[in-house]
Amino acid sequence: MPSRQRLYLIGILLLSVASLSLTMWWGNEPLLGLDLQGGVSVRLTAVGEADEEMLDQAVEVIRARVDGLGVAEPEISRTATGVMVSLPGVDDQTRALELVGTTAELRFRPVCETLPAVAEQAPVLAQGDPGDAPASCWPVLTGEVIPATGANGLTAHEDDHAADFVVLTDELMPGETITRRLVLGPTILTGDGLSDADADFVDFTWQVNLTMKEGATGIDAFNAIAAECFAGTAYCPVQSGYGNGQVALVLDGQVITAPQIRATSFQRDAILISGSFDKQSAEDTALALRYGALPIELVAENTQLVSATIGEDALKAGIIAGLVGLAAVALFIVAYYRILGLVALASLAVSGSLLWGIIAHLGTQSGLALTLAGVTGIIVAIGVSVDSNVVYFEHLKEDIRDGRTARSSVDRAFKIAFSTIIKANTASLIGAGLLWWLTVGAVRGFALYLGLATILDLVATKFFMGPMIDLLARSSWFKHHPLRFGLPADGAVKTIGEAK
Amino acid sequence: MRTLKLLYAGEAPMDYPRWWRRAVVVSAAAVLISLGSMALQGLNLGIDFEGGTSFEVRAPGASVADAREAMTNYNGEEARIQTVDDQVIRIRSEVTDPALAAEIRDHLNNNLGAVETFEQVGPTWGSEVTSKALRALITFFIVVAFYITIRLEWKMALGALVAVGHDILVSIGVYSLFQLEVTPATVIAFLTIMGYSLYDTIVVYDKVREIVGRLGATERYRYAELMNLALNRVSMRSLNTSITSALPVVSLLIVGSWLLGATSLQEFAVALLVGIIVGSYSSLFLASSLVAALKSREPRWQQIDTKLNQKGLTSEETRSIDRRDAALPDPRATNRSAGPARSKPVATMRPANGVPPRPRKKRRN
Repeated sequence: MPSRQRLYLIGILLLSVASLSLTMWWGNEPLLGLDLQGGVSVRLTAVGEADEEMLDQAVEVIRARVDGLGVAEPEISRTATGVMVSLPGVDDQTRALELVGTTAELRFRPVCETLPAVAEQAPVLAQGDPGDAPASCWPVLTGEVIPATGANGLTAHEDDHAADFVVLTDELMPGETITRRLVLGPTILTGDGLSDADADFVDFTWQVNLTMKEGATGIDAFNAIAAECFAGTAYCPVQSGYGNGQVALVLDGQVITAPQIRATSFQRDAILISGSFDKQSAEDTALALRYGALPIELVAENTQLVSATIGEDALKAGIIAGLVGLAAVALFIVAYYRILGLVALASLAVSGSLLWGIIAHLGTQSGLALTLAGVTGIIVAIGVSVDSNVVYFEHLKEDIRDGRTARSSVDRAFKIAFSTIIKANTASLIGAGLLWWLTVGAVRGFALYLGLATILDLVATKFFMGPMIDLLARSSWFKHHPLRFGLPADGAVKTIGEAK
Repeated sequence: MRTLKLLYAGEAPMDYPRWWRRAVVVSAAAVLISLGSMALQGLNLGIDFEGGTSFEVRAPGASVADAREAMTNYNGEEARIQTVDDQVIRIRSEVTDPALAAEIRDHLNNNLGAVETFEQVGPTWGSEVTSKALRALITFFIVVAFYITIRLEWKMALGALVAVGHDILVSIGVYSLFQLEVTPATVIAFLTIMGYSLYDTIVVYDKVREIVGRLGATERYRYAELMNLALNRVSMRSLNTSITSALPVVSLLIVGSWLLGATSLQEFAVALLVGIIVGSYSSLFLASSLVAALKSREPRWQQIDTKLNQKGLTSEETRSIDRRDAALPDPRATNRSAGPARSKPVATMRPANGVPPRPRKKRRN
């Protein structure tokens, strides 16, 4: 038993030191939210008539899209003519634009033909008869239908109708040029048929995992075209250099991705798109697919760097006040519990260092923003962490007053106190979990930090505070000088009892 | 002070049951005042909830403080002010009246710089966010009620929900009464209060259950008396935790807003402070009194009550339980092993070739 306790202690200390040094080593820093450090704001203007309801709907779609992780905490509001989006911590304005997006509907179209970037040669016409099919590529291959194209050989935005053949190209990053044009068949399926899209790390590569909805407008439609593409029929012919036909996923007139179909039919939730994705591009693609549809078309008018909304003066005051408050807590707890108080502070430091590591890591890697709301969650969590210690220490005192020796009280009291702490913390965790799953925006950020801090409190109590006090209790010092530990002397009970 | 000293020494000087009735009256009054204030004057919702007017003023070199000063006459404290690309100051005020907005525009034109755009903006915290949060809250209450019912008991679940509801209502009531501005941070503060209050109540209930589990079987005490002992024993914990939780908030209030003048933090801190105090109070006085009232109606405690009444111990006075009587072992701390003493009884046949049964004595004549 004691050796396991010692193992816990060494383990948790190593872990917290590792957390701090890795954070420093990787240069991770928490990403401060819009209210604390400012960011980029993008003004979007609606094209054509848009009533308030449509704009409100657009706000929700954009919120879902930008808030992919759910804790970046963008600030999104309706303006007179469009939508204003502010993103925290983003200093790259093109990336901000990319994230906000202005896209309309997601469309699944079969790839009929691949053309070179520049329209110079006439397409080779196919011959024969494929039988009559509703959404076949055949008409365009035989030249029966010629897709409307503009001067650059691409279908213009206003001619991009769901039921037509179109010529489109890949989504271009700034600085990229067109490498190919794709002749695409009529839309087989829209974003309505898609229920989810995630970035997954499978077989050591980043992939995008699609989940379709059930039924005719979901997986059935997808499988119908998949069978044709797999076989490479006239509905979905094989392009040179490929083994199977392709389905293009088109958003706002741009081909997001055009994967080859490698199976005749798919499970509803197991459609994996692989390719040269890295983590960022897989996540961005999944995000774009997930939140495809905007009720109106929006055009980005300008992007601007904006300062913090809380104001530096308030932020500075908040930090100073927080430090003063923490010092006051430390003073109080050490004055009251003496050496036990020091253990409580060390326990707070352990959970604090782990929390800092996690926040900094998530902030750098996943765009988790630390807002005023998050800071509040943490401040409250400090109170709760200290409480775990207080519950235990008070139990310890009581047991000693009940006539037990300090040594024998330690084991007993920890068991009872820890069971109380688990009960109370579980309620907090339930709250944090539900708020995280069911809400959006600032409330989610709060829930995340509350949940994290609560779990870390349990960890620090079980693996640091408990074993540490156990270790101290074994020393003869503990036995002979209970007052230094803020504990009543053994037998104090009798004197008080008899004085009555 | 004497009470505190005794509490520190682990005695039970507080007579909680005597305070319960008053606490219920005070809480009911506070809730009524809160509800009344909310019905009459409502809440002072900030720009994040209601939208307002946004002004963009070209004023290179002007600071946020300058802009705030220019807005002094127009509720500048509550305006959201940002610098944009260091050239433009964006002021979002909660003013929705176009005439007043035009007046502010003229004022800014004269005092800060050329107003480039001014337009109505919608809320950033839309009704969607609120309705989702409300749905989450209701789910939370239901799940937590189940959880407390399973881990403790349903009467305590009811008590905890009443206490949490009371804390939230009173905190919101303070906001309504003093017309403090409600911002998203305030909503977070309310959620925080809720979490804190629930946590506190469960810690208190667990103590009650421990004491009742240990001493209830002696049938010598009423439920309220056991509850009183538990509350006394948990008082020091509640006090210390309230102090450690409140210290950072008080520091935010005193250091942050009075010494450093960051008034935007002030209201936030007020909400948290009220919540922490009310949260601790409601666990000790409100949640416990409700559970005691419900539990004393149970047949078991009724029986004990009549038994004690027959002995001449009336329920008017709460007897405090002596430390030596309270020191019964807690079953949770000892691991009960299933030793031979606890093995189940078994009936076996006597082996046929063993000792034969003693023959019946022959009766002598």
